[in-house]
Amino acid sequence: MIRLEKVSYSYPDGTPALKNINLDIKKGEFIGVIGKNGSGKSTLALLISGLLRPQTGRVMIGGMDTCDPSKLKEIRKFVGIVFQNPETQFVGRTVEEDLAFGPENLCLPPVEIRKCVDMALAETKLEKYRYRSPKTLSGGQRQCAALAGVLAMKPECLIFDEVSSMLDPESGMAVLETIKKLHKKGKTIVYITHNLEELHDADRILVMEKGRVRLDGDPESVFSDTSLQSLGLALPSLTELAMKLRMHGVTIPWEKTSSPQNFAEEICRLFLKT
Amino acid sequence: MPIILENVSFSYSRKTPLETPALRNINLRIEKGEFVGILGEKGAGKSTLAKLFNGLLKPETGKILVDGLDPSSKEAKRRIGMVFQQAADQLFCKTVYQEIAFGPLNFGCSKKETEERVYEAIEAVSLDQTILTRDPFSLSGGEMQRVALASALALRPDYLVLDEPITGLDPAGKKEILEALKKIKERGTAVITVTHNLKGFFPLLETIVLMKEGKIVFQGSRESYLEKGCIPLPPIASMMKELRARGLPVNPAAFTVEDALEEILKLKSAFEKENNGN
Repeated sequence: MIRLEKVSYSYPDGTPALKNINLDIKKGEFIGVIGKNGSGKSTLALLISGLLRPQTGRVMIGGMDTCDPSKLKEIRKFVGIVFQNPETQFVGRTVEEDLAFGPENLCLPPVEIRKCVDMALAETKLEKYRYRSPKTLSGGQRQCAALAGVLAMKPECLIFDEVSSMLDPESGMAVLETIKKLHKKGKTIVYITHNLEELHDADRILVMEKGRVRLDGDPESVFSDTSLQSLGLALPSLTELAMKLRMHGVTIPWEKTSSPQNFAEEICRLFLKT
Repeated sequence: MPIILENVSFSYSRKTPLETPALRNINLRIEKGEFVGILGEKGAGKSTLAKLFNGLLKPETGKILVDGLDPSSKEAKRRIGMVFQQAADQLFCKTVYQEIAFGPLNFGCSKKETEERVYEAIEAVSLDQTILTRDPFSLSGGEMQRVALASALALRPDYLVLDEPITGLDPAGKKEILEALKKIKERGTAVITVTHNLKGFFPLLETIVLMKEGKIVFQGSRESYLEKGCIPLPPIASMMKELRARGLPVNPAAFTVEDALEEILKLKSAFEKENNGN
């Protein structure tokens, strides 16, 4: 689906952001990307969405080389990206107009545009806000509107760059739930975050440091990797507790560390007299 | 002298069709030197409350006194420093030095005194002196937030009011800010913070103010907050609450990983003892 071959990228001031990255993102995967500030996460997001082109190496998106200008429009249709501050990506006066902008640019007939917009509004449950200005929405709704704007282009792959980091926990969860639903419907998802908690059910997690991929594996193996703290990441408290309990002979299965309720259930199963 | 709010109410867009009540009948007393967390869901009125403390908003009804002063007076503004979620919004000078010196100079401090205060402030937030010549906008999120903190500290405030100071930072940046705040509090400045980040802040909070729909629904020590089973809770405390609800005798005051480990190991040994007994 997306392939990076020996990709390096430096910013104009000479700061190297990515160093020799090889990566294969499979169709339908939910990949979490984590790493501290300046580790290269956002540069990776811009490269795999075709917004930046590699200086060395090759980025292939759905079989298309991002350095091939004739494929640009196809690439834009294939992959969509949502950023941390959705304000910066709104162009329409109303949510509906904003969502129509992408399909309009693809020169679709009006009937098709209407279908795309309605589909995107339904997927993000924003139907009742269609005539509102995006600026008057709450933070969580704005993030959903930005996501809807991308969905209206019917992309195969969606990239999220810290979309929940400015939201309150509840709104953040709601946005993540919407993204998980899209994943279940077959979309390929790349989800960048600082918050390891959000990646508990990811198919795969990449941990980045200084422009390289340091860890690449399923959540259970990445969460229990001892180098995590030295990479500047904080382990979710329930995972940390489960690891400490294991040293005392109490084993909590991985799936039970996903929420306080599940964790408590397991403790009760182990130690509550019936 | 404390910050006192008596029967304070506030509405946005007052006397227009869009009038939205934000705070209703708030009574609150914040003592000097406390570490206070203002918690609650979005829209509960937390940020509105924070803006009332230093006179950015004026109460519609009721009275606010900062050490006996009107919060919009110049002296009250010196006593209350404020830092918002996005530090970038409150930085505007060309160098970090000018940024931090802006407040003291504005309050009529001499150049020498200002310089002293700038050094004192960056030391308090554990920033290196080399940062003083840099452009604030070239800094990382965590550094920028600490510069905003230092600018507030340069006025030697008695109270520091913060609105989501660690949101959007990476774990390392969050840790830097939390450590700086801990130090600031230990030096005697009251820290009052609006936050959703319980994992980070809960261990620091002494007093909790819980808001819901513009009202204060809980006000008291962290211990009594846990005892009463209020929400939101950090993940570990939330798990411990579940255990109690299911009939396991665990200490309600436990909220850290270490506390929980101890409590669960106690459950384990009690369980094993009983089974061996049978």
